[in-house]
Amino acid sequence: MIRIMLCCSAGMSTSMLVRKMKEVAQERGLAVEIDAYGVTEFDEQFARYQVVLLGPQVKYMLKTLADKAASAGIPVQPIEMMDYGMQRGDKVLDFALSLIEAAHE
Amino acid sequence: MSSLYQSMIGVIEKAITPLAGRLGQQKYIIAIRDGFTAALPFMIIGSFMLVFIFPPFSATTTNGFARAWLDFSATYREQLMLPFYLSMGVMTFFISVGIGASLGRQFSLDPVMSGLLAFMAFLLVAAPYSNGTISTAYLSGQGIFTALITAIYSTRVYAWLKHNNITIRLPKEVPTGVARSFEILIPVVVIIGTLHPLNLFIQAQTGMIIPEAIMHLLEPLVSASDSLPAILLSVLLCQLFWFAGIHGALIVTGIMNPFWMANLSANQAALAAGTALPHIYLQGFWDHYLLIGGVGSTLPLAFLLLRSRTTHLRTIGKMGIVPSFFNINEPIMFGAPIIMNPMMFIPFVCVPMVNAILAWTATRMGWLAQVVSLTPWTTPAPIGASWAANWAISPVVMCLICMVMSALMYLPFLRAYERSLMKSEEQKAQEQAATTQSGEKRNEVSVS
Repeated sequence: MIRIMLCCSAGMSTSMLVRKMKEVAQERGLAVEIDAYGVTEFDEQFARYQVVLLGPQVKYMLKTLADKAASAGIPVQPIEMMDYGMQRGDKVLDFALSLIEAAHE
Repeated sequence: MSSLYQSMIGVIEKAITPLAGRLGQQKYIIAIRDGFTAALPFMIIGSFMLVFIFPPFSATTTNGFARAWLDFSATYREQLMLPFYLSMGVMTFFISVGIGASLGRQFSLDPVMSGLLAFMAFLLVAAPYSNGTISTAYLSGQGIFTALITAIYSTRVYAWLKHNNITIRLPKEVPTGVARSFEILIPVVVIIGTLHPLNLFIQAQTGMIIPEAIMHLLEPLVSASDSLPAILLSVLLCQLFWFAGIHGALIVTGIMNPFWMANLSANQAALAAGTALPHIYLQGFWDHYLLIGGVGSTLPLAFLLLRSRTTHLRTIGKMGIVPSFFNINEPIMFGAPIIMNPMMFIPFVCVPMVNAILAWTATRMGWLAQVVSLTPWTTPAPIGASWAANWAISPVVMCLICMVMSALMYLPFLRAYERSLMKSEEQKAQEQAATTQSGEKRNEVSVS
C-alpha cells in the first residue's frame, strides 16, 4: 500500500487533486491511500505516510515541515505550480512515487 | 516591460517572500488563527440565531407569516437568545481554549491541558466573581484581546516550566493520564500566582480590571482597524502575498480576526439594542465583497476563462468554475497562472481594492446593509453577503456590482495575456517545425 499525504492551507484545494490522483491510481491498478490535510494537522498526520506533498501556496513552510519529517525519513516536497493548477493527477502521482522510491534507496 | 517585471519579481523575492515566511510561521499568528478556526463553528451557529431573533422584516409588516414570526420572536426573545449568549456571548471561552491548544501543540505540550490552562488564565482576569455570579461584560468581543494575551502568556509559562523541568514527577508506573494532570499543577499555581495579584494591582491603580484596561489601551487601534485605509492595506498585503504564491489570506486573517470579532460583537450588541451598527469592516465584508470566488475576486474571471480563445485557459476555466463558487480558486491561481504573471498583476491587485472602495462607500451612504453574522467563508459570495447582513437584499446587489466591476477590470488584461499565449504557442509550433526540419537535414548529411 502506497500512502501519500497532501497538505495545503485548509486541505480544500488539495482534496480536489487527491480525487484526481486516486482516479489515476485506480486506472493503473495501484493500491494507494491518499489524503489531504490542512497544514495545522501536519504534525499529527505526517508519520502515517511515506511522502508528503505541499500545495504551492504553503511552499514557504517547506523548510520547517521538511525538518520535522526528516527525522522519520519522510520526504516533503512542494507540488509544481502548473501541475497543481491544472490538477494533473498523473504527474503528481508520478512525482510522489519517485520521491518514495528515492527515499528508500 | 520585461526588465521592470524582473525588478518587481526581485523585490517580491527579496522582501515579500521572507516577510510572509516569517509572518506565516509566526507561532502566535498561527495560534490565533487556529484558535478562531476552532471557535468558528460555535459562533456561526450562535450568530445564526440572530435571524430568528431579528427576522428580516419591517416591524410594521402586515404579511401574515412575517407578522407571526415577529410576534413569536418578541414573545420568546429570552429563550431564543440563550444559544446566542452561550456562543457569541462567551466567544472568548472558545477562543482562549483554541489558542492555548494550538500554541501548546506547537510547543509540544498537551493541547487539552494548554487549552484549559489558557481558559483559566482568561477567567482569572476577565470574569469578576461576586455573590455567586460572574460578570459577563468581558466574555464576548470586549474580552478578545485579553483572551489572546492570557492564552499566549499561560502557554508560554507552561512551556517554560516544562522546558526547565520544573514539574512534579511521578513514578513511571503511574498512568500517563494521571501523570499529565499532575504535570499541570505547577503551571496552574504560577498562573494564579502571577495573574491574580496583577489583576488586583491594576484594579487598585486604575480602577479598571485587565480587559477594561486593555480595551482602553487598544481603543485607537480597534477603531483604526475599521477604516478604509485599514481595508485597503490588509487587502493589498493579501494580494501581494498571493501574487508571490503565498497563501496571504491565511496571514492577513490571522492578524485581522481579533479586530473583526471585537467589531462583530459590537455590531450584534447594537442590533440587539436597536441602535445604529457601528462597524463596517468585518469578516463578512472581507469574504463576500473582496474575495468573491477566492482571493482577487476571480469568480468573474473564471466565467471569462470559460469562453477564452486559448485551449489552456478554457481548460482552467472548466476546472476552476465549480470550486470558484465556493471561493476556492487555486486551480485558477496556479493554473492560469495568475501567480507571478506580469500580465495579471494590475487587475489582481486592483480588483479587490476597487470593490472595497465601492462597498465601503455604499455602506457609508447608508445604502448597503452591514454585517451582523458570521458565515462560513466557503458560502457563495452573494448568499454569504446576504446571510452575513441578516438576509438583506442590498448585499446581493452589491456583490453583483462587484462581480461586474471585476469582470470589466480583468477582461482587457486577460485579452492581452491570451494574445501573448497564442503568440508563444505559434512560435513554439514554428520552432518545433524548424527543429524537425533541421534535424532531417542533419540526418541527410550524416547519411551522405
